[in-house]
Amino acid sequence: MPDTHFYRYDDYDRALVGERVAQFRDQVRRRLAGELTEEQFKPLRLTNGLYLQLHAYMLRIAIPYGTLSSRQLRQLAAIARKYDRGYGHFTTRQNLQLHWIRLEDAPDAIAMLAEVDMHSIQTSGNCVRNTTADHFAGAAIDEIEDPRVWCEIVRQWSTLHPEFSFLPRKFKIAITGSPNDRAAVRVHDIGLRLWKNACDEVGFEVIVGGGLGRTPMIGKTIREFLPKDELLAYLEATLRVYNRYGRRDNLFKARIKILVHEIGAERMREEVEAEYAAMRDSALKLSPETVEAIARQFAPPVLRPRRTRVPEVEAMKLENRAFALWLKSNVAPHRVPGHAIVTASLKPAGAPPGDASSAQMEGVADIADAWSHGEIRVSHEQNLVLPHVAIESLPEVYRALEKLGFAEANVGKITDIIACPGLDYCALANARSIPVAQRISNHFAELARQHDIGDLKIKISGCINACGHHHVGHIGILGVDKNGVELYQLSLGGDVDFGKTALGTILGPAVESDKVVEAVEAMVATYLGARRPGERFVDTYRRIGAQPFKERVYGNS
Amino acid sequence: MAKNLSGDMQVASANRLSDGAVVFLDDFGQWTRRLDRAALARDKRTAEILLARARAEAASVVDPFLVAVTESGDGVLEPLSLREKIRASGLTFAAIAAEAVRYA
Repeated sequence: MPDTHFYRYDDYDRALVGERVAQFRDQVRRRLAGELTEEQFKPLRLTNGLYLQLHAYMLRIAIPYGTLSSRQLRQLAAIARKYDRGYGHFTTRQNLQLHWIRLEDAPDAIAMLAEVDMHSIQTSGNCVRNTTADHFAGAAIDEIEDPRVWCEIVRQWSTLHPEFSFLPRKFKIAITGSPNDRAAVRVHDIGLRLWKNACDEVGFEVIVGGGLGRTPMIGKTIREFLPKDELLAYLEATLRVYNRYGRRDNLFKARIKILVHEIGAERMREEVEAEYAAMRDSALKLSPETVEAIARQFAPPVLRPRRTRVPEVEAMKLENRAFALWLKSNVAPHRVPGHAIVTASLKPAGAPPGDASSAQMEGVADIADAWSHGEIRVSHEQNLVLPHVAIESLPEVYRALEKLGFAEANVGKITDIIACPGLDYCALANARSIPVAQRISNHFAELARQHDIGDLKIKISGCINACGHHHVGHIGILGVDKNGVELYQLSLGGDVDFGKTALGTILGPAVESDKVVEAVEAMVATYLGARRPGERFVDTYRRIGAQPFKERVYGNS
Repeated sequence: MAKNLSGDMQVASANRLSDGAVVFLDDFGQWTRRLDRAALARDKRTAEILLARARAEAASVVDPFLVAVTESGDGVLEPLSLREKIRASGLTFAAIAAEAVRYA
């Protein structure tokens, strides 16, 4: 099936990526021949997303705004099978990581990416990284405008941008086009939210200085309403202010969130506006023709309204309890009546969160071709999304996903855990994440109980860099190393919902690895004992505070 | 960068350049995948020499460093830190796909 519903490379993109493959092939050859030292080579491989981790090289592949065609997903599966161990890890930045790549194979792997309009450029280094988006973009019922059009504009502007290739630190942008934020925009360096003002015009709220990591911060709004055609000028102004004033003397204080925190949101706004005033009518002003040309590529598939109440679906709901639960948790409303958005859970009981084998990726690609117009999305919650499924096809899609092990009815539930790769793979980690996630997942595997507990987001990071977003988990779990022992710090009350974005509060002393499940069970029991009708875990926590949870987890001593 | 020059027993480790695999320097100056064949430094001075030798043999590896280990009564070496135990032994959970394992 052709890729008709989102951006396809033009000759310029193709030439750029092709040149990069050739350059990297030569760089790898010279490194293997001993003509480049590791010191010389390291920045070159990182520029192409190739890290060296505990056991092997890891290739981080950018999935622009989390959108994939079936053809691209099949190619990722083929690369994983040919050059890795037959599986990959979908990340919280909507990327795919292959953890067992050989250096000598890396140029061939990225050449295969280029064949399907993909690359691994700018997935490392102090530059603008892959711009992320709402994974329901182009399909969500609450969407004002498809954010991917703007993500693509940002991608083209930021790719190899000479002024912003050596920023003080890495830079992450997220865009949502819906009031219900599914892209966590308030915890990004820049978050952009499309909204409609009183004059019925659509523009961006510009949020700057959010982020997780060592010093978590919620972003501050520095522009309530930015006309869309001024986006790039405003971004350029913001990056320019950051590039000028951001700290380069201390790695841990180099992110834009520290700058915004130190000078204040108002001063940041003044600096950006002053810079912006000098360039607002520059070549960066987007012409309607430019925007329309890109928007045309994101034209949604033609979906005709269909039956919203399908007897076969209703019958299966009665016959199959797991299917009924799946409809509740994994199926979301679509903007076109009679269609739905399906989330394929990459969190079957006890599995490493976000991992998919090549066979599973190919299976999802087949399902997308058969029932979702060849489209797949990667969510920052490490699941795959089929954005355009007819309601009458849901039973078939469910059965097909079930065969792949991706039909677990747990999206948004306690076992839909975000976890970074942790100390099993990562050179930065202090503690393991995946085995902890697996134990929690196995403990709470029973679906009826998960649905009784309701929406509860557990997020696990293996170090303070917070790739597992633990600060914004309803329950956050951070692995730390204390004198060679893995301990896990628990936090409560984090959230990324727009208007309710909050950082979790540490509950108390870190617990040993084998006590984590017990502690989570104690927190869940506290919630179940105190909740009022309709309250989610995090709502109850907000109402009753941390003390009852603390007493249950640690006792009264 | 010298690490773990604490006086513990140490071995020299690195990642292999071609594929990143964890390797250890043996008594013959060769890099081996097997920790049980690693050259063992039993004191700080020997560790410094071992590290210097590892760096001299670094053409096929990346960033050699020292790893603190313990030795059991029957001579089995084990890294002290969890990180190095995982480096030496591999993942602590079963990876999702057994299929297409080309480089196991």
